[in-house]
Amino acid sequence: MVTIALAGNPNCGKTSLFNALTGARQHVGNWPGVTVERRAGTFRFEKGEEGTVVDLPGTYSLSARSEDERIAASYLSEPEVDVIVNVVDATNLERNLYLTTQLLELKRPMILVLNMADEAKAQGLELDLETMRKLIGGPVVTTVGSTGEGLEALKAAVLEVAPGTSAPTMPHVNYGLDIEGEVAKLELEISRDEKLAATMPPRRLSLRLLEGAPDALEMVERSHASKAIQARLESSLAFLDDHLGADAPTLLAEYRYGFARGLVKESVKRGETPALDRSSRMDRVLTHRFWGFPIFLAVMVAVYSLTFVVGAYPQDWIGTGFEWLQAFLGSHLPEGELTSLLANGIVPGVGSVVVFLPVIMILMGCISFLEDSGYMARAAFIMDRLMHKMGLHGKSFISLIMGLGCNAPAIQATRTIEARSDRLITILVNPLISCSARLPVYILFAGAFFSPFHGALVIVGMHVLGFALAIIMGKVLRLTLFRQDQAPFVMELPPYRMPLPRTTILHMWEKGTIFLRKAGTVIFAGAVLIWFLSQYPGINDKSLAIERHKQEEQIKAQGLAPEAEKAAIDDLEFAHQGRIMNNSYAARFGQLVQPIFRPILDPDHRRPEAWKDGVALTAGFVAKEIVVGTMGVLNQAREEGEEGQLSPLQQNLRDNSGLTPLTAIAFMVFTLIYIPCLGTVGIIRKETQSWGWTGFSVGYGLVLAWVLSWLIVTLGRALGLG
Amino acid sequence: MNTTLRLSDLKAGDRARVTSIQAEPAIRQRLQEMGLTRGETLVLEKVAPLGDPMELLVRSYHLSLRREEGACIFVEKEG
Ligand SMILES: Nc1nc2c(ncn2[C@@H]2O[C@H](COP(=O)(O)OP(=O)(O)O)[C@@H](O)[C@H]2O)c(=O)[nH]1
Repeated sequence: MVTIALAGNPNCGKTSLFNALTGARQHVGNWPGVTVERRAGTFRFEKGEEGTVVDLPGTYSLSARSEDERIAASYLSEPEVDVIVNVVDATNLERNLYLTTQLLELKRPMILVLNMADEAKAQGLELDLETMRKLIGGPVVTTVGSTGEGLEALKAAVLEVAPGTSAPTMPHVNYGLDIEGEVAKLELEISRDEKLAATMPPRRLSLRLLEGAPDALEMVERSHASKAIQARLESSLAFLDDHLGADAPTLLAEYRYGFARGLVKESVKRGETPALDRSSRMDRVLTHRFWGFPIFLAVMVAVYSLTFVVGAYPQDWIGTGFEWLQAFLGSHLPEGELTSLLANGIVPGVGSVVVFLPVIMILMGCISFLEDSGYMARAAFIMDRLMHKMGLHGKSFISLIMGLGCNAPAIQATRTIEARSDRLITILVNPLISCSARLPVYILFAGAFFSPFHGALVIVGMHVLGFALAIIMGKVLRLTLFRQDQAPFVMELPPYRMPLPRTTILHMWEKGTIFLRKAGTVIFAGAVLIWFLSQYPGINDKSLAIERHKQEEQIKAQGLAPEAEKAAIDDLEFAHQGRIMNNSYAARFGQLVQPIFRPILDPDHRRPEAWKDGVALTAGFVAKEIVVGTMGVLNQAREEGEEGQLSPLQQNLRDNSGLTPLTAIAFMVFTLIYIPCLGTVGIIRKETQSWGWTGFSVGYGLVLAWVLSWLIVTLGRALGLG
Repeated sequence: MNTTLRLSDLKAGDRARVTSIQAEPAIRQRLQEMGLTRGETLVLEKVAPLGDPMELLVRSYHLSLRREEGACIFVEKEG
């Protein structure tokens, strides 16, 4: 079976070609040990044999300085790759061919695919494939990734050079007498170590050494010929410096671009070029000095509404479905542990995650659309100044804004940020953005302890505080942990192109399934754990059960209206749940951690009820909505109240809990900062591919939450508040 | 007379030729790989609404850079 690898610049249409080639026969994973997506699939040649295709991350070069480049470079040297398919954007040949000059150095069978042939034609470019073929030394074909045009020719070209055929000799860039002389000397030294020469073509290794590539230097260090090679390299570099007036990397880049330009000159005829291309015309408005911002904000509002407003409907349906399922299981299965696990643990726990599915899919669809259309780069262009001040990247902004809706998809949205440090910082600060699930907690406390006006201010303040903390943490992380890791902001603004609906839908589907699979497993385990903690050891006291049964009979005997009877029985169940909860491991844990919370929630040691806070906040690990529900169960007061009045729970909190407005704020601040939910933890793990960073995120959230709440309470009390 | 400027000193609409890049090797190589090699002509197309980054037209594609990186690139203005 033939394996091909798609290599090319970002935005050259690789993904479209890959999708056209494989259809649905593809799967997405990760490259080993890193966060970069690995896409592989199968396709059929004309005669029916199968082929495998691997899509490499889009890169501008093979210098192996970034994670993407390292992956591309190392995979392309794997014996498993039979043919390199170098995809280039035919409308932007010169820059795209730079990578081609490096791919040629790999000395492997290769074909050149001129994608975007339709656009090239529309721009009046005439591509002379025969001449190109001569210059590249391999087959050249044209394709249109969006329609699949030219795929048959592509497959035929692959077979033409596939192993077993006599592949034509490949040309390489001629770097001029001086450099070529030094390369030849280096090659000679390198070929003395056969093992070294087998891992990388000696010519490529020589060039990499001249460029000062760290990975090449390391390879040499491990060689038994390292002394000789290093000595050779030093004298070569000195010689070139003396003779050519510039350092080797500069010269190599210039010769490569010289080759690319020469190739374009000889094989492309330019017709009448339009005065100003379409993208520039669009950018006159879209990145305009005054209009750029409002348009960008409008796009953000549109994406947000589509995701969280429109997405709320399917979210509701799914939520209702799970509630129904829970009720159904509860009433149709025989009473017992297993039923309780299912109906009170797994179904609501998993349900609380699955409801995010529509939101995630819609947001990922929007992001994919923005990315493929070319607007994402403009958004980054517009926002970069602000974001850079925070130690972040222009593209971080979208992720932060979407965090207002839900942190989990917002963290997934960081996929579009290339530099690893930018991405990690964005992921780590995202949980500080107050997601919509925290709102009920604010509403509960703000309503109970503040006038409507002040309460609204407090709620707004929480959101502002979240953003402020994200900014500060971003800066702090940049200046501490990621100090060494500054990636330059060098970003292409690709031409605007209409994304294919198929690509967008595939992307939504992919993200949806990944979310369900990965976050689902974490949540499932978490749901079971929390169920266990809150239900066990339970109440073994038989007399209580009998008592409850008796009470239920009594209510039924009263002959109430069906609704009133149901309400009364519900109350009974509610009280029963409260008793189980108060006796549970979770409650014991709450009491155990009470000393930790004392300085912030009970500074005077006068609150007998303080252990409940610990329980509620512990339960909030699963999801913030649960904080309110748990408070309700623990305080034996319902959350729903009459319109315009405090709910029973709010009344109870205000009158009986012993919390003051100041400690209530501390509670809210704590809720804001500590880890948003188990789903987010799952996503952080998935996106960082590291338990270390996941743990760091959870840990610093807890510490920061405690310290800030403590500061607020302490300062507030010093000022005579509370 | 042609004087050498920093790329970050150009104004929107200016056309200039790259004379040298003075930055640490990794950044310089990245800029060169993106096509900013010596002798290459570029046009400073525009500056982002907040004054940073900048948008260049080089090798007939659009590239954006922060002023920080732009300050490492020395150019000669063309008429
Ligand atoms: N006109 C045209 N558009 C294309 C072609 N191939 C891809 N596109 C579009 O170009 C954009 C970028 O393509 P994509 O496959 O995401 O590029 P990648 O970044 O290299 O994976 C998308 O909007 C595609 O719909 C093509 O041959 N012709």
